[in-house]
Amino acid sequence: MRIRAVVSATLASVGILVAGWQSGAHVANTASAVGTTAGTTGSGTTGAGPSGSVGSSAPSSGTSGTTGSSSSTGAAAKADGTFAGDVVQTRFGPVQVQVTVSGGAISDVTALQLTDDGGRSVQISNYAAPLLRAEVLQAQSANVQTISGATVTSDAYLTSLQAALDAAHI
Amino acid sequence: MNTPTQTALQPAARRAPAAGSPFKGQYRKRLFKADLLTVIAWASVAGAVALWLADGGVAGFSSVAGAFTAMGIVAGLAGMDLVLLMLLLAARLPVIDGAVGHDRALEFHRKLGKPSLYLLLAHGVLIAIGYGLAEGLDPISESVALWVKVPDMWLAFVSMALFIAVVVTSLVAVRRRFPYEFWYAVHLLTYAAVLTSLPHQFSVGGLFAEGTWQRWYWLAVCIATGTALLHYRVLEPIVATVRHQLRVSRVVAAGHGVVSIEMTGRHLDELAGSGGRFFIWRFLAPGQWWHPHPFSLSAEPLQFDADGGGRLRITVRNLGKGSASLARLKPGTRVAVEGPYGLFSTAARSRKHVVMIGAGIGITPIRALLESTPFAPGDATVILRGHSRSGLYLGDEILELCQRRGATLFHLTGRRPRGVQTWQPETEARSGYRLASYAPNLADADVYVCGPADWARNVLDDARRAGVREEQLHYERFDW
Repeated sequence: MRIRAVVSATLASVGILVAGWQSGAHVANTASAVGTTAGTTGSGTTGAGPSGSVGSSAPSSGTSGTTGSSSSTGAAAKADGTFAGDVVQTRFGPVQVQVTVSGGAISDVTALQLTDDGGRSVQISNYAAPLLRAEVLQAQSANVQTISGATVTSDAYLTSLQAALDAAHI
Repeated sequence: MNTPTQTALQPAARRAPAAGSPFKGQYRKRLFKADLLTVIAWASVAGAVALWLADGGVAGFSSVAGAFTAMGIVAGLAGMDLVLLMLLLAARLPVIDGAVGHDRALEFHRKLGKPSLYLLLAHGVLIAIGYGLAEGLDPISESVALWVKVPDMWLAFVSMALFIAVVVTSLVAVRRRFPYEFWYAVHLLTYAAVLTSLPHQFSVGGLFAEGTWQRWYWLAVCIATGTALLHYRVLEPIVATVRHQLRVSRVVAAGHGVVSIEMTGRHLDELAGSGGRFFIWRFLAPGQWWHPHPFSLSAEPLQFDADGGGRLRITVRNLGKGSASLARLKPGTRVAVEGPYGLFSTAARSRKHVVMIGAGIGITPIRALLESTPFAPGDATVILRGHSRSGLYLGDEILELCQRRGATLFHLTGRRPRGVQTWQPETEARSGYRLASYAPNLADADVYVCGPADWARNVLDDARRAGVREEQLHYERFDW
């Protein structure tokens, strides 16, 4: 390799990398901004949940919060309300769902967090979440088929859902 | 005797001014092309990483698991880029062949083999660690989970195994133990390896998600590479074979264990002026058709009629099993042809003077080059090397060509001395002759060398010591 080739190749490569870095920094800023907004919205929704006794948006306190609520309801066991499941870590990002119970039945399932590591994961999440929600509402349990092509997301979704259902004593 | 050339002159020769170095412009252009290709190759690697950076890839480094995953992704992207570069280097693209030659292109191809495998292995390992950390699994369980749970990942594992097989069988030590055909068959698996690796990149890889322009970039690069391979390695050979309609017309002995194969065909004028560039021949006879033979023409094609019908000739020695059976080829056998490839031709010239040195069967490309490359009488030196006079194949024809074109011819015969690194026979070596003793203009000449690897190395060393620069040295490997 000649000096001219080495120098030009190095300069070109560095230039390309810097350009990539610059536009990447921009993307990262936007992404974190979006993330924050989404988080705020999420907690807002949770707060405005039906009988907002449990609407805690903090993932770790979610389960304990629900437990508290159910114990306060005592022997009546099945309580109406919103119950957040565990945060389940997957290779494509954390997953957490929240279940709304009314009259002892699952009336709604909301995803608080879904696999979001990279564009493809988001795509899978957006595709799988409505399907899972529909299946769960129909089956009234976490005992449903995983969505093919979204096994990782489905498994985490259903695990988190089961935790929420356990908390709700369903 | 010193009449100017009668043979078909190449365009370069027609353009060439009489004085000075007529090849300077051609050489500069070729060098620029080679440098540009080098820059593009490296920039493509940088581009692969830059696209990832542009997607906000650095954000991954905020956690340990994310850092492993991020490094894994970068390794995979760079590995993929190198694999595509390797495919292009082996695709016999005219632009690469014309700039650096087939030999050098394949040398780069081989050099990239191990790095790209290491990058792909690192990709797999780092991703398994990164994903495993995110999920609380050890890398092995994580790999199993990936295989079972994530679509297209099992194909990626298959691809990995294939890549390992391809690179391992290409290691020099391993390659020597197996016949060429075995290596070739395994090497064809590269295509399977690349194809099986594609699905997971586009379905699991976050960077290639639908709607991103990164996806379009990689799609375009993959499709372009595939198209180039199909065009230059499949379509062009078929077109050339159909167009030239070559058939063996005669097989003549040209020395001990050496035969000249003559073929007739059409449009042979298009193959004229290829000099010492090689073609890949396949003789379409039972047990022969799948064996490719890389040989240059040993004479310019002879034309019978105006539309290019004529005869051409190659001269081969019984080197391998395949070459041995060539002596028994029947007249009328159809021949598939592709090429010409390589830079052992006028296209590589950079100087006015030219020195051509051939040993053994390596003399035949020298014969073709001597016939077609432009030089003024007195500017060319031809040195033929063989164990004995009968080993100077086509010696009479070369003598006649040298007389007609005004080239100085040396015959060097006899064994080389034991324990001394020299390309000359014993007597000449003991007399202290050097390459420059035969060719006084050596330092300002293009030096074409064709012969066995060890011998050629000695010639090249001798030339370098005489002040010949790398760009003036043109070497064709002959021990396939």
